[in-house]
Amino acid sequence: MTAGTGNTVDVEGAAPGEPLPPEDETLNGGAGPSADPDAANPTKILVGLVGMVVVGWFVANASLSFAYYPEWFANSKILIGLVALAVGVGGAYFFFYFLNMLVEGLPGRLSRGLMPYAFLAPGYGLIALMLLYPAIQTINYSFANADATEYVGLDNYREVLGSDAFQSAILNNILWLIIVPAVTVLFGVIVAVLADKLSTTGEKASKSIIFLPMAISFVGASTIWLLVYQFDPANEDATGLLNAIWRGLGGDPQSWLQHSGVRLNSILMMVILIWLQVGFAMILLSSAIKGVPEDTLEAARIDGASELQIFFRVVIPQIKGTIITVFITVVILVLKVFDIVYVLTDGRDKTQVIANLFFAKLFRDSQSGQASAIVVILLIAVTPVLIYQVRHFRKEELGR
Amino acid sequence: MADSNRRRLAAIGAMALAAVALSGCLQDPDASGGGGSGTAGFADNSSTDGDNKVTILGAYGGDEKANFEKALAPFEKESGIDIEYTEDTDFTTTIKTRVAAGDAPDIGFFPQPGGLLELAAQGDIQPIDTFLDIGTLDKTLVPGLLDSVRLSGDPSGDDGVEGAGRMYGAPMRLANKSLIWYPKKAFEAAGYQVPKTLDQLYALMDQIKQTGITPWCMAWNADQATGWVGTDWIEQFVLTLNGPDVYNEWTSHAIPFNDPQIVSAFDEFGKIAKTDGEVYGGAQTVVNTQVAESMVPAFKNPPQCMFERQGSFEISFLPADIQADLDNEVGVFPFPGKEESAEAPAILGGADLAALFNGNDPDAIKVMQFLTSDKFGAEWAQAGGWLSPHKTFDASNYPNQTTKDIADAATNASAVVFDGSDVMPKEVGSGTFWTGMVDWIQGQSSQDTTAAIEASWPK
Repeated sequence: MTAGTGNTVDVEGAAPGEPLPPEDETLNGGAGPSADPDAANPTKILVGLVGMVVVGWFVANASLSFAYYPEWFANSKILIGLVALAVGVGGAYFFFYFLNMLVEGLPGRLSRGLMPYAFLAPGYGLIALMLLYPAIQTINYSFANADATEYVGLDNYREVLGSDAFQSAILNNILWLIIVPAVTVLFGVIVAVLADKLSTTGEKASKSIIFLPMAISFVGASTIWLLVYQFDPANEDATGLLNAIWRGLGGDPQSWLQHSGVRLNSILMMVILIWLQVGFAMILLSSAIKGVPEDTLEAARIDGASELQIFFRVVIPQIKGTIITVFITVVILVLKVFDIVYVLTDGRDKTQVIANLFFAKLFRDSQSGQASAIVVILLIAVTPVLIYQVRHFRKEELGR
Repeated sequence: MADSNRRRLAAIGAMALAAVALSGCLQDPDASGGGGSGTAGFADNSSTDGDNKVTILGAYGGDEKANFEKALAPFEKESGIDIEYTEDTDFTTTIKTRVAAGDAPDIGFFPQPGGLLELAAQGDIQPIDTFLDIGTLDKTLVPGLLDSVRLSGDPSGDDGVEGAGRMYGAPMRLANKSLIWYPKKAFEAAGYQVPKTLDQLYALMDQIKQTGITPWCMAWNADQATGWVGTDWIEQFVLTLNGPDVYNEWTSHAIPFNDPQIVSAFDEFGKIAKTDGEVYGGAQTVVNTQVAESMVPAFKNPPQCMFERQGSFEISFLPADIQADLDNEVGVFPFPGKEESAEAPAILGGADLAALFNGNDPDAIKVMQFLTSDKFGAEWAQAGGWLSPHKTFDASNYPNQTTKDIADAATNASAVVFDGSDVMPKEVGSGTFWTGMVDWIQGQSSQDTTAAIEASWPK
């Protein structure tokens, strides 16, 4: 193919010496660096193309050799890891080096227009392979039967939407959506504002402590809180913190995670997510609050506004953008919430959520069709939020 | 001049590309699969064959893992095979994920034939007849176990299940689940007699209740698997009240899940589980206490509860000081039959089934042959908590009288039926049956529970 291109170039390069030729017709010829920067450079094109293929071939085979011939690397996983690192990083470097050479070799205008896309293409390719393709395949499978061998039309959606488990999960997800992002932002703002009033050391210390849970994985946090909610019968010692306090106040031991009356168990699980996310909200909001210009506050004070008025009328409007960003990020997180429910109740006692239901359908019940349908519904639910987020982000950018 | 330069370059480039294309990519040195050797090795995973390394995935953790590895040590030394065991308490989910991702271990230990047969039907598991002697196995194994690993369906025809009729796993650990455990010292001090029939058991429960002790210890919490203990109870009552035939019809769905005989088994169990004062702590405690901690209150002084119906693995759940003096501290008797009879009652069993995912690896086959023979397990047996599924296993390896009694009960039983929730399809057996039991003990009626489970049975 390359050879073909080369030849074509050769044949078509019939109009040498035109001063400013249209790009697709000009091929000024000349292997060496041409006097005209807009002219194509076949050497560069060729070397670039061959280089890319060779690099690709080398990287692919090196990766295969790790799997097929570990003895070449003395069966050492550490050595394989190091070589893989070198091949991966080096391969990427040389691949882009040759890609760059190829695009530079193209006629000037084409080259300039193509350059950004050439560098973005591998990234786009990966996104298409890892994100777009699975998403489309999932939508496809959502119309197929349990092991994706036959299309069943809308049966999966009918089955899923009609099931009690799904309706309960939707209700719970809505509750999570109403409560968690709002409370997270609220606490985030409160903490950020209060910390702002502390001394530098106090601010650092309190922020660090509140940010600390962010470092804990969801499963780890859930396990910690499982112990907090632990139930022990009345004649035994309370080992759960919440029950210990409750009993200290004179109550009977409660199995907290089974109280589905006012969805108390779901709310107790939301506490965990809030605990995890307040740190994130606080950090962003705190920097936003610090970014509020001092002179606007001064002006408000001179006009005789109270601190509360200043906060609500001056500070909040100026950090609104950040509040929305944090809110939306948490909204998306909440729509995907899974680990906490899986560890604490696995959806028992009316605590099911969409993501956990999907997991159960796919891995416990082997219903890939229904599982896909659930995910597609989740995808549809997330999309407007995402669109809003992107729009909001654009507006923010414009405002700057 | 320029033209010839470009031509030369083009030619070189073309040659270089052709060279690359012709040399192609590396080929997998052992991608041969079954090849010419008939059906051998049609199940394959991505691991290297014949490298003296065998990976096993199972659910054993903690002490069980240590004991299992102890039982492997002499074999590893003798054969030079390095066995890499990975524990995963979420085995049933993990194995499916890994198989689907093409990352199956060489060998997996299935606690349930349901999950095994599901993967076998997809052609991911090597049939055992290609590397084990079924005739010998059948003679030495406790009767009934091998039948559970046969893939049902018709192998012929266009819609035929490929590989149907063959067996896909071999038991490497037996569980006798029809056992009632009690704190021996307290039981004997009170002068109680081991009950031989259900009525005697109920009478004894009343007697115990009058002394202010709750008759039953019970704990169901097993995180994502919460409820399985309840399913064992129901299975026990179905078996005891209706016998093995009805039991097998029920587990194979020849009769519906909400058949009146099954509903009555739920109600019978309800006399224990849903009656005030019969179960330690009531439903709330049952659902919130970890399975392994169920008998902790039984060894308090005075005991808070007296009986626990649980499988042979209960030994490994007992507190350390009790385990140290097992024969004096703990008593065990078979779950009584409905009526007195000369024959030992049928028992509810269970077995961990070893399945081979890599039919091409001679090392993995060697390990399978060892694991499923009556030679395996002496060290584990001595450590406790493990029963060989082989009648020919040297019983002197069992560390104490308690274990010998349990093994005897299993080998003498008139029939051994496989744990029903393990036989049922996964979405029922480890899905709605589990969750249904949790709903049931928290107040849902037997009718509603069985009807809901029946509705969830895959069509």
